[in-house]
Formats: sequence, C-alpha cells, structure tokens
Amino acid sequence: MSQIALTIALPFLAAFLLPVIGRVYEALARVLGPLVLLYCLWLVLQLWGTGDGHPVALAMGGFRPPMGITLYVDRLALLFTLLVSLMTLLLWPWQRAADSRECALTLLLAGSASGLALSGDLFNIYVFYELVSVASFGLVAVHRSGAAFVATLRYLVISGFGTVLALTGIALVYSQTGTLNLAQLAQLAPDLLAGPVGLAGFLFMLLGFGVKGELFPVNTWVPEVYATAPARASALLAGLVSKLSLLVVLRLLVLLYQQEQALQLLLLLGVLGVISGELAAWRARDLKRMLAFSSIGQLGAMFIAFSIPGNAGLLAGLALALHHLLVKPALFLLAAGWPGAVERLRGLARGGPLAAGLFVLLALSLIGVPPLPGFWAKMLLVVGLAGQESGYLLALAVVLGAAVLEASYLFRVVAQLYHRDEEAARPRPYLLDLGSAALAGAVLLSAVPFISPLGDWLAGTAAQAGDREGYIITVFPAAGRPLYSAAGGGKPALAAAGPLPEPKP
Amino acid sequence: MRNLASLLFAGGLAFLLMAIAALLPFGHPPVLAGGAILEQAADQVGAANIVTAVVLGYRGLDTLGEITILFAAAAGLGLVLGRRRAGAPRDPDAGPVLRTGAALMFPLLVLVGFHIILHGHLTPGGGFQGGVILAAAFFLPLLARPGTPVDHPGLSLVEGTAGAVFIVTGLVALLTGGEFLQPLLGTGTLGTLFSAGTLPILYLALGLKVGAELAGLLARLADAETDT
Repeated sequence: MSQIALTIALPFLAAFLLPVIGRVYEALARVLGPLVLLYCLWLVLQLWGTGDGHPVALAMGGFRPPMGITLYVDRLALLFTLLVSLMTLLLWPWQRAADSRECALTLLLAGSASGLALSGDLFNIYVFYELVSVASFGLVAVHRSGAAFVATLRYLVISGFGTVLALTGIALVYSQTGTLNLAQLAQLAPDLLAGPVGLAGFLFMLLGFGVKGELFPVNTWVPEVYATAPARASALLAGLVSKLSLLVVLRLLVLLYQQEQALQLLLLLGVLGVISGELAAWRARDLKRMLAFSSIGQLGAMFIAFSIPGNAGLLAGLALALHHLLVKPALFLLAAGWPGAVERLRGLARGGPLAAGLFVLLALSLIGVPPLPGFWAKMLLVVGLAGQESGYLLALAVVLGAAVLEASYLFRVVAQLYHRDEEAARPRPYLLDLGSAALAGAVLLSAVPFISPLGDWLAGTAAQAGDREGYIITVFPAAGRPLYSAAGGGKPALAAAGPLPEPKP
Repeated sequence: MRNLASLLFAGGLAFLLMAIAALLPFGHPPVLAGGAILEQAADQVGAANIVTAVVLGYRGLDTLGEITILFAAAAGLGLVLGRRRAGAPRDPDAGPVLRTGAALMFPLLVLVGFHIILHGHLTPGGGFQGGVILAAAFFLPLLARPGTPVDHPGLSLVEGTAGAVFIVTGLVALLTGGEFLQPLLGTGTLGTLFSAGTLPILYLALGLKVGAELAGLLARLADAETDT
C-alpha cells in the first residue's frame, strides 16, 4: 500500500523533467504525461484489487504520527485517487500538447489532487490545496486573451484570500490543540474545538477550502473563469477539483466538527449557494456561464447534503458529487464547440445530432429524471432532508425549487438546439471533446441497470468515511502493535524509535 | 452596493479576528507534536538544526509540495508572460561602480549561498535561504547589465534535475522497503558535516532548484517588455 505515494511523486517527477526531456526528445515529452497517469491509474486499480477494503495509514518519511505526515487510504481516498488519474488522462490537453509547461502544470494538478485526496494532515492538505490553486492559475489563462487574464486575476485574488483564511483557520486549530494530525485532532476535538475559537477555525477553513468548491460567498470567480478558460481546464476544475474541496470539508466535518453549529453554518451557505447559483444560471444568456452558475447551485446542494447529520448525508453528498463529476465536465466539453449566447445555438441538432443528443441525456440526468443516475442522487438528498427538522425542510423546498429552475433553463437550451426553422452550419465540438463527452454519457447510461449495487457500494464507502473511531484506530493502533503491517518486514528503523507521545490536552 | 458589501465583510472579519484574539489565552499554547519532535528529533534524524529535521524529515512531503508550488508558479508565469520582440529597446548598462560591484559580489554570493545550503542541517539556514542567495548572485549581473544573455535552457536543466534528485531520493527509500521520503544512510554523528543521512542531499537539491527557479523567474520578469 506504500506505493500509493507514487500517485503523488511520479506526476511531480514527470513535471519536473518535462522541460528537460522536451529539449532532448520531443516525442517522448508529448506522451510522458499520459504514460505516467496511465501507470498511476494501473497502480491504483491494482492496489484496489489487492487491498482488503480496510483503511490503511501510511507514515510519510517513516515518522510515526502525530510527528510525521500521515496518508490515510480508505475506499473514498482510493476512489478519488483513481478518479484523479482517470479524469486528468481523459481531459489531457492534447490539442496543446506541444507546450511542455501546460503539460507540466496538468501533471502537477494531478499529483497535488492525489495528495489532497490521501492526506491525513491538516497542513499537508493546505500545501496540496495551494499547489492545486497555483497549477490551475496557469491552466485557465493559457488562451492569453484580455478577458482570460481579467478572469484569472480575479480567480487569483479570491484564491489568495481563501488561502489566507484557510491558513488562519488552521492556525486557530493548532493554537487550540497543538497538533495538525487529523486523527489526533479527531481525538481532541470534542474537548478543545467545541468552543467559539474552534468554530471560528471551522468557518475560516470552510471559506478557505470552499473557494475551489464554489461555496457561496467565495465563488465569484467561477462564471468568468469557466467562460474564458479552455474547456478541458474548466472541466477539470468544475468536475474534479471542486470535489476534492468537498472531500476536505467532509473530512473536517466527520473528524473535527460534529457539533450542530458547524452543520447549520454549512447548511446556510449551501442553501444560499443553491439559490444564488440557480437563479443566476436561469438568467444567464451564455451557455458556458449558465453551466458555471448551475455548477455553483449543484455544489451548494452537496454542501446541504453534507450538513445532514449522520451517514445518510454523506451518502447523498457523495452520490451527488460523483454524478456531477461525470456530467459537468462532459457538458463543458460539449459547450466548447458551441460558443456564444444560447440563442445562437438555434438548430444545431441538425448539424451535430450526437452532440445534441448527448446534451439532452446529460441535462436530463442533471435535472434528475428517472431512471438516470442523477435522479437517484437527488432522491437520496431529498429523503435525507425530509427526515430532519425545520431548517432542513426549508432546504428541501429550495432544492426542489432549484430542480424546477434547472429544468427550465436547460430545456431552454434544448429547445434552441432542436429548433426547426434554420439551417445550421456551426462549429461542432472537437472530435476528442465529443468522444470524452460520449464516454461520460455511456458510463451514465450503463450505470442505470446497476444502480442498486452501486448504491450499496457507495453506502459502504460513505459509512467507512464517516467512521470517526475507525479513522483514529487506523492511524493510532493500540499500543504495542506496529503502525501498519507492511508485508516483507521492511519496518522503518526510524518509526520504531521513541514511544508514541500520549495525546493529552 | 458592492463597496458596502465589501466593507461589511471586511469589518465583520476584523471584528471576528479581534474577538478571537481576545479569547485566546496568552502564553503557553499546547504543543503536542512540537514537543515530541523537540525531544526526539536529534536522535531520530541526527540534524543539529531542528528546523531542518522538521522541514526535510518530519514534514518532507510538505516541503516537496512547497518547492513544487514555486515550480508551478514559474511555469504559469512562463505561460502567461509575453515574448520579447527582437528589436525592443533595453535599459542601458549601469555605471562602472555598479558593474564592478556586481562582478565582485558574484563569487562571494555564490560562496555564501552554497555554505548556507550545505550547513543547513547544522546551523540556521538551508536550501530555501541559500537558494535565494544563489538566485540573487545570478540576478545581480543582470541588474548591472540588462542586456546580459540568460541561459534559460541551462537554468531549466538545473531546476528539473534538482527536483528529480529530491523525488528520486525519496523514491529510493520507498523502493528499499521504507516509506516515501524516509531519510537513509543512518544519522551519523550529531553536529558534523556528514550527518543526518540524506538530508544534506535533499537540501542541496532543494537549494539548487530554488536558486535556478528564482533566477529564471526574475530574469523573465526583467526581460518582459514594458509599455513605455
């Protein structure tokens, strides 16, 4: 299981070497990135096959937690590592593969995203989150147009602000507990983080890590960036990176903040996100902006789901997240071939029936029309909300209203696509983009008959992710037992030295 | 409206921060991980400079992330910055005092930079600090003579190789049965130049990488055409 660190190290290594290799042997530099990602994918699949499904904690550098950095590998983390390699591979910037810097940044994004998924240390999460940000700045500005620079500058300022907030939150948590290890924090949190300072730390971290998750007040960068960035970069950010931000919030909630106030705060911000995002999407005239705003709304729904106490909320949030991760990038790829206002899409279905058909399929799933997977994800959210008290019922009403709005604006697009009057000869999506979108559509359709086993599996994953005691025991096994049972007896000499300090306030 | 909202937000944030500052007790914060590291670092890592033990040992993965952030920033800047036209005018060279001064300072700065990098595990300093000094050494002649050609391919070669050495050192530990970035080669005698296992190698790679990256970054920024 130690090899999982390779999913962080190898993309970094390849990114460092790309400019050097590109000078010597250009053909190799073009395929190096995809090859590395392919290997990471194979590695994660193999680890998935050999693992027994129990979470494993890895001590980076061989230093025992809480002194060293821990990687926590449970089913959820493995799933996200897998998705990172897969999505980066599918959304690789083939059209601009000649530019080694862009390939290097994409690789850095993949490596740091894996790190974000695996990390079990608060400050390490911050470092990888920052790396994701910095790598994405370059990727969204590659078109080098004035609008792209303005959008990127705003993104940069808001991200920087979020970074400062997250760091403040981490500093507050550290000042209260004296540790950064998530498992030790989970042990200490009920005593030390329940007060106002701890909660303020949560607020800061939520706003900071929420920037990529398009959380309500820190999401003003979203529409402009997605409207001006290359479709593949938008798809990566909206599809993958936003979900990693959700994963961080999930870990914080499960491990550190189980009190009601934290959940209420998340619920409030989620509801505001749904309302503002969906209304803005309804008013948007440009397809990419519409998709960007609706993404804010849908991520708001996931924050609402996570604010439901217990595993039902986690399950609903994860289902929504995975569905969105599949559908939204495909929609962005389709939109890349249809620039401009919605009105200009008139009659496009005749020119590109496959793309239009895919758009309809994805839109239907996004709205939540049975039997498509999107319906079941929304169903979980609605059922979870319906079982709760007053504030959650209000959120339920908002979510249902948002579905109506979603249907209204997405059908507006569909109606334009299938408009009969005019002959259309418009630019169609690139074949590669269309292929990736078609793949997403095929996965979506093939998931329909397997929705029940998929749901069971996801419920197991959510239960494991929501198991706070399990997390603590995995990282700090009972005294006397080795930190982890590494096969082959290659026990790190350093890890054996010194007793584990007693975690006490 | 937008200004009002920003003002309200900023005011609220300031109030919140002040309220928190008032709540925090002054003095002895809990230092669980820090205390444990202070007790055990000298034995476990063998670095006399405990900051280095933390930076490269206990939190080596963070450090890898940090240098990668710098790399990502430099790559992003390279993507965004415009190319210089062939005939674009440059600032004239500085006077003889500055030029001679820069030439005199160059070897001294390189020496100090390498000293700080190589003694990073013994005395305050290390790869980041020494790397910045190295970058300054190479940037100083460029300030005195803006027309000096910069060897960007060479810089990126140093940068890439140094980064690769850092990661490969970590991978060697992984492949020999340890964990990623685990220090190898034993701890040695505390306080001697050849101690703390692979940490000096990591710091040398880190210092060269930071130096090359920062020098390239500054040279690119200085080379970018201005509107005037």
